[in-house]
Order: sequence, then structure tokens, then C-alpha cells
Amino acid sequence: MKLRGYLAVTVWLAFVASCVLVIARTQFTTDMSAFMPRDPTPTQKIMVEQLRDGVVSRLILIGVDGAPAPVLAGLSKRMAEQLRAAPELAAVNNGEQVGMEKDFELLRDNRYLLSDAVTPQRFSAAGLRDSLNYYLDLLATPMSGMAQRVLPTDPSGELIHMLEQLQGQAQPLVQDDVWFSGDGSRAMLLAHTRGAGNDIDAQERAMLAIRSAFEEARKGNAEAAGAQVRMTGPGVFSVQSRAAIRDDALRLSIIATLLISCMLLLLYRSPRALALGLFPVASGALAGIAAVSLGFGSVHGLTLGFGITLIGEGVDYAIYLFTQIERNGSPQTTLRRIWPTMRLGVLTSVCGFSAMLFSGFTGLAQLGMFSITGLVVALATSRLVIPHLLPQGFFVHTPAWLGGALMALVRAAPRMRLALFLVVAAALAFLVFKRDAMWNDNLSSMSPIPQEALKLDEQLRRDMGAPDVRYMLVTGADDEEHALQQGEELVAVLRDLAAQGMLQGYDAPPLPSRKAQLARQAVLPGELELRRNMGEALRGMPFRSGTFAPFAAEIAAAKRQPLLDREALQGTALGLKLDTCLVRREEGWSVMLPLRGVKDAPAIERGIGNATEAPFVLLDMKRETEQMFRDYRHEAASNALLGALGIVVLLFVSLRSFRRVLEISMPLAAAVVTVTALLLLTGHTLSIFHLIGLLLVVAVGSNYTLFFDHRCTSAQDRERTITSLLFANVSTMLGFGLLSFSQSPVLNAIGSTVATGAVLSLVFSAILIVRKDD
Amino acid sequence: MRILILLAALFVLPASAEEWGLPQLMQSLAQVQTSQGKFVERKHLAVLDVPLTSSGTLSFRAPDHLEKHTLEPKDETLVLDQGVLTIENKARNIKRTLVVQQYPAVWAFVESIRSTLAGDLPMLQRFYKVELKGGAAKWRMKLLPLEDRTRAMVKEIVISGHGDRVTAIEMLEANGDHSTMTVIGETQ
Repeated sequence: MKLRGYLAVTVWLAFVASCVLVIARTQFTTDMSAFMPRDPTPTQKIMVEQLRDGVVSRLILIGVDGAPAPVLAGLSKRMAEQLRAAPELAAVNNGEQVGMEKDFELLRDNRYLLSDAVTPQRFSAAGLRDSLNYYLDLLATPMSGMAQRVLPTDPSGELIHMLEQLQGQAQPLVQDDVWFSGDGSRAMLLAHTRGAGNDIDAQERAMLAIRSAFEEARKGNAEAAGAQVRMTGPGVFSVQSRAAIRDDALRLSIIATLLISCMLLLLYRSPRALALGLFPVASGALAGIAAVSLGFGSVHGLTLGFGITLIGEGVDYAIYLFTQIERNGSPQTTLRRIWPTMRLGVLTSVCGFSAMLFSGFTGLAQLGMFSITGLVVALATSRLVIPHLLPQGFFVHTPAWLGGALMALVRAAPRMRLALFLVVAAALAFLVFKRDAMWNDNLSSMSPIPQEALKLDEQLRRDMGAPDVRYMLVTGADDEEHALQQGEELVAVLRDLAAQGMLQGYDAPPLPSRKAQLARQAVLPGELELRRNMGEALRGMPFRSGTFAPFAAEIAAAKRQPLLDREALQGTALGLKLDTCLVRREEGWSVMLPLRGVKDAPAIERGIGNATEAPFVLLDMKRETEQMFRDYRHEAASNALLGALGIVVLLFVSLRSFRRVLEISMPLAAAVVTVTALLLLTGHTLSIFHLIGLLLVVAVGSNYTLFFDHRCTSAQDRERTITSLLFANVSTMLGFGLLSFSQSPVLNAIGSTVATGAVLSLVFSAILIVRKDD
Repeated sequence: MRILILLAALFVLPASAEEWGLPQLMQSLAQVQTSQGKFVERKHLAVLDVPLTSSGTLSFRAPDHLEKHTLEPKDETLVLDQGVLTIENKARNIKRTLVVQQYPAVWAFVESIRSTLAGDLPMLQRFYKVELKGGAAKWRMKLLPLEDRTRAMVKEIVISGHGDRVTAIEMLEANGDHSTMTVIGETQ
């Protein structure tokens, strides 16, 4: 090796080492934030925050099934007992009335501050009489025992009023003291993690704690041998998809590497050459991750998963180089010959991906940067480092029959032109016909979550009576008090709208504003007035005299009692609910009112706007996410088109021949059209990941068309070139084809698109490009 | 239907007349598929000077449909169907449903009547210690709650009847309140 060689290898090693160093300090994320726009609208911002660390994002729904109900109930109780002490979880609820005493006491002791029924009329003679009549009705029912217990201190019925409000909310079935699914086959628990929803490590620890509590609970219980624990929730999804992508990416890249290595070993018959052939890919992937890490501060799991797709293209450069070395030739002379074509191939790919670099969505921008860096580094390694390391006199023996057969095929290929035009025309017509049903903007098509997990989520939510929240009314102010006041104004409007049947119900913060609490204290009557009204109300009623002796003192105490604050609710179920409804944000506080059973959202929006001055946003989570993904996809599509345009310009500038540019672009365009039609025909609807796949098809395929177009010095040269394309194509097929076995919809989409597209690009190039050599 | 039961009774009675007990009572109650009747209920409550009196109709269809329709003093229906209790008060426009299993005390109370009418001894014994006095013609069954939670509310329930018909349900609550419901039945 010459001095230049040593220098190149040293620089390269230092470069790789520094990439590894950067990666070692890199933070990997898998949350949905990569799918969020970099400059969100205020509505999107609220939603993104909710998804990231809102209380809803900390929710884990747990189902235990696979054993008789009493056994499941026992498991649920023991799990809950253990999990209540777990540091990973802020709260666990399994329907047991454990800890409910605290809530009951809170409601009872603060009923005159908390009840929204406290109004002047409530304590008039007529109001009290109404309530006492209601008590009489209750006393005649089987609930008389409970009614009698609260009657003497609460004749205006605040506690019953509040309990009825809470009762009105959907609750799962209770059997053997714990929550069960409607059919009694699954015990249900609800956990809130202490860590935020996007802290995936914290979510994973919480899941582990739940799983080990389950194992602990069933230990030594033969009846529970078949029992299973299932979990779902936003955090669980993140953990699972991270694991799925990590596992798939790792497993599939190992298999792909092995398969490609076997093929290359057969081809090169030199382990050293094989290892050298993998260097460009490895350096490219490392550099790609390091670049994203430096550029964005963190690397998304998807970007990482995408890294293995680079194997398919990166390995091609070494194949082109190695396979095209002539007998008695040297890598340097070969490079001199094929370098312009290889360079143009990489520039074409870079052009395609650079449009993504400027995307407003972090995920796309990361993919762009990763691909560009990866490809440039892979090519540079093939060009600058590998030739120095190849053994002297290395060249690839390909079986003579293979070259002959290939050339025969290539010569025959142009006869297929008519058939190809027909196929592409049919595909194009099909695409035009299907143009409105091509894209799937459903969250499920975008999310890296398998369909099964989504089904389980739906099932558990239904069992829990906790439907996914779609509509949320949001208001905000600089401080907690004003946010709560605005929330109360909105709740008053919602109550009217619900009474008109425009929605079924809503959740409100269980903490009234200080203003509301003070107003309630103010309407409580003085002792004289109270006795007079009570006396009047009781006239002709069958209540025993002296029953209500404690009432006056209770009211007097309530008038002086300290107001409730956030702190006072901590440690109760109500406190947890408050945390979901009242949220501190970057600027000020927000009150979130989840709405149930919304029939006509725009009408509700108008109704609220007409009734109150309070600022509000009616958030439609479904529409908002779909809109966001539509924007995302539109942007990706227009970026891809820009990229394609860039490629055409680049080709024109370097080839300076309109005819050649057309010849080179045609096979690619035909491949893209045909693959898209094939995907739709096989029942797929397209997501943004298919779009990325198509971009990769262009990137990989452009190498094929360029080499077909490449002017060769001899028939042997042409044969070697075509053979190298075949091997490059097989390696791409192996790499991407394996991805289509991935559980993750993302990797799956990219894999199937690129594997098919690459094969078609090669075949179409053979059919469409006929080059007369010197 | 009645003729069939009487016929059956003719064959069964002579042999088991001396061994009449809880299983036999339950068996004969279980034979009754539907029954209807009028009731008068008096509730003596600590907070009230006078007993609460109400009256209306009762109907039962084996094994788990029970209706208590109060006509006086207020129209109110209480329907138990397959474990779901629906309370409807038309005057107050209130309709409330609850799954009785979620309210153990209510469930225990509801089962005392439903299990008896359905002749469901295992369910009855799940909640109560059952003491039976009297004979097939006139009997008196005392139910003592087994669960602490139920005991905190109900001290004992006494159900009396003639043959396969329930004629009275008395309940003594833990706080000293007690109620008596007399049933004038027309079994079909």
C-alpha cells in the first residue's frame, strides 16, 4: 500500500471512530413527535403536548384473563395491592373501594364548596322541601339505609347530587369487588405511570412492574396457570413499537447481512473482499446516524430502522467496483472507467432525498439527512478507501454461462417494449381510476403499531367503558384561577347544550375556582334564616323532630371553612382527574374538558361561541391528526416531485442530451407507476412510507439505468457491467425483501415497495435502454 | 299448569311429608314459573314519625325477572332483569339503572327475594344463613346475612309463606329500622 493509501485508511478509521463516539452519546426517541410538524398550529401544539406528556398519555389499561372469574378477581386484588406501592406508578385502580374513603370524605367535608347545586334557591324553604321530598322517595327504596345516614347533616342533598354526577359516568362492571369486562371474562385495571408518556424507558419500567406484579400474584396458584396479562395505552404502544422496530431492524438486518454475505462470498471467493464490500455500507450507516444526531439532537427509532434499508443500496457500490474489475486490471483503472456513472448515480439519489431534508416534519427531514450522508459516505469509502485495501490482482470470476445468458436476455429484452407499454398504460389508467382512494390518512396506517395491538386497545377500552376521547374543549389563561373560571363558564354552556341533546356528557375539573367557592360560601344562609326556612320546609312532613339538629352547625362551619386548592385533592381519585383536566403548560394553564357523545361538533362550537366570551378551542383529535398526516403526506409528495424534477435537471446538466435523459427517466417512471399499481392491486392503501419507498426505488433504479446507458469499451466490459447490475439487484432484493416480513407496518411498506421496484427498474432498463458501444 | 303441579304434589307428598325441609320448599318454589300479587309495604324509619306506607303490584317470572310497581303514594317502578336493576320515577323524570353486582348490599337484598321466588338455594346460601320453621302449608324462613358489609346494613330478613307462595317479607335493618311487606298473591 502506498503512502496515500495509508493516509486514506487512517482518515477513514478516524472518521468511523468519531461517528461511533457521537452515536454512543446519542439519544434515541420513538415517540410520535417525529410525525409532528416543526411549526405546529396552536391546536396541534395542544394535541402534541397531550400526546407527549398529557395525563392521557400516561394511562395503561390492563386486562387479566384466562382463568375463572374468582381467580381473576384474586389476581387483580393482589396485583393492585403490590402496584399501589410501586414507584413507577402514580395510581392504580381495579374497582376495589380501597382508598375511596378518602374521596368520600373529601366530598362530604367540602360538599358546600364542591357542589354546583349550591345556589340561593337551594336553601329557600321551597328548595329544601324539594330535596326533602326527594329523600322521602329514596327512603322508600332499597337505598334507604345510605340516604338516612346522610340526611341529618345534608338535607339539601349535596352529597347525593355529587355522587349521582359521578355515577353518571360510564363504569366497568364489578364482580367480586373488582372491575370486569362486560362478559366477565377479563379483570380490568387502570394504571397511571409516574413518568411522562414520551419517556419510553419510564413506560417500559412501568410495564415491567405490572408484569412482575402479575407473576408475583399468580405464583403458586395452580388455577391461575393459564392466566394472561394484557396491556395497552399510548405508552405501551411506544414501548412495543420501539421494541418491534429494534427487534425487526436488528433481526432482519442480521439475516439480510448473512444472506448478502453468502451471495458475495460465492461471487468474490475471498473473505477479505467480502469484508471490504461491507465497509462502505457500515461506514455510511454510522455516518448517517451520527449526522442526524448532530443535526437534530436526537435520532428517531424509525430513522434507525431505516438504516438497514441502506444495506441494499450501499452494498451496490462495492459490487459495481469489484465485479467490474477486469482480469489483470486494477481497482484504480476500473474506478476511472465507472466513476462518472457511479458519481452521477449517487448525485441522483442525493437529489431525490434532499427535498426531504427541508421538510417541515422532523421525521422526514431526519430520513433525508440520514440517506444523503449515508450514501455519500458509502460512495466515498468505496472510492477512496476500499481500492487501497483490495488484494493485488483481485478480480471476480463469474461463470461464463451466466454472462452469456444475461447478454442473450438483454439483447432479447427490447422485443418486450410493446408489452411493457401496455402494462404501464394499464397501470397508469388504474391509478387514475383509483386516484381518490389511493391514500390512507388513518392514524393506524401511519403509526408503527401493528393492527393486533390496535384491536386489543379498542377491546380493552370498550371493556373499561373508556372510549377513546375524540373531542376536547380547551381553554387557557395565564394562571390557574382564571383558567378554572373560564372552564366553569364553558361547563355552564355545555350543561345547556347537553340538556338540548347536542352531546351526551363531559368531564369537568373536580376543583371549582376560588371565585366559585367563595360565591357558594356567600349564598349559604345565616343560622336564623336557615332555621326559618327549614321549619317551613318541614311543615307537614313526616320527619321526626330533632333529626336535623346538626344541620345549622354544619352550614355555619361551611361558611368559614378554608377554600380547596389543588393540593387538597392530591392522593384521591378526584385529584387524578383534576390533573387530567387542569394542566400547566409552557405559557399559563389549560383546562381540558373531554366531551362524550358529540353529534354535531360545528353546532356545538357555534353554540359555545354564541353563549360565552371565554376563549376556547374545540379540538377534534381525529380530524386534527388526519389533517396533520395529510399535510405531512402532501408535503412529502411535493418534496418527492421536486426531488424528481431535481434529478431530471441534474441528468440534463451532466448528460446534455434530451434523448438520453428521457431514456434514463423512462424505466424509472414506468417502475414507479407499476409498483404503485401493484401495491393498490394487492389491497394496500398508500401511506407516506410507500412514498419513501418509491423515492428509494428511484435512487436504486437510477444506478441501473445509468449503467445501462453507460458507454462500455468492449463486449466483455458490457457483460461485466450487466452482471454487476444483476448482483447489485439481488442484494437489494434480499435486503428490502426481508423487510416486508417485518411486523412493523413502516418497515413492511418500505420493504415491499423497494424490493418490487428495484426488480422492475432493472427489467425495464433492459427493455428500454439500448446502447451502442464503441 | 296448576293441575300438573297438584298432580305431582299428590305423588310426592305422601312419601316426603315427614321429611319436609329447605330443599323441598325450594323445590316447590322453583316449580312456579310466574307469579303476580299486590303488596302493601310499611317502613318504620328512625328519622320519620310515621311509617312510610306504599302499595302496588309485584310480579315475578322465573328465574330472574322481578317487578315492583309502586302505585301509592308515588308511581315508581323497580325492575330487576338479569341482574340489572332499573328504577323509574315518572313524576320526577328519573330513570336509573344499576348492575346489582356492583352494590353488594343491594345485591344481597335483591337476592333474598329473587332467590326465594326462584327456589335458588345455592344463591340464597351464598349470602345468608337460612333458618326454616313451620311446615309445607305455612312456613317462615329467617335469613341472616353472612357478609360483614351486608350485616352492616341488614340484621335479618324474614320471609313467610303458604305452600309455594310468599305472603310476607319483613326486614330488620342494622340501625333499628324495620319494614314489613305483605303480599296478597294470585299465583298462576
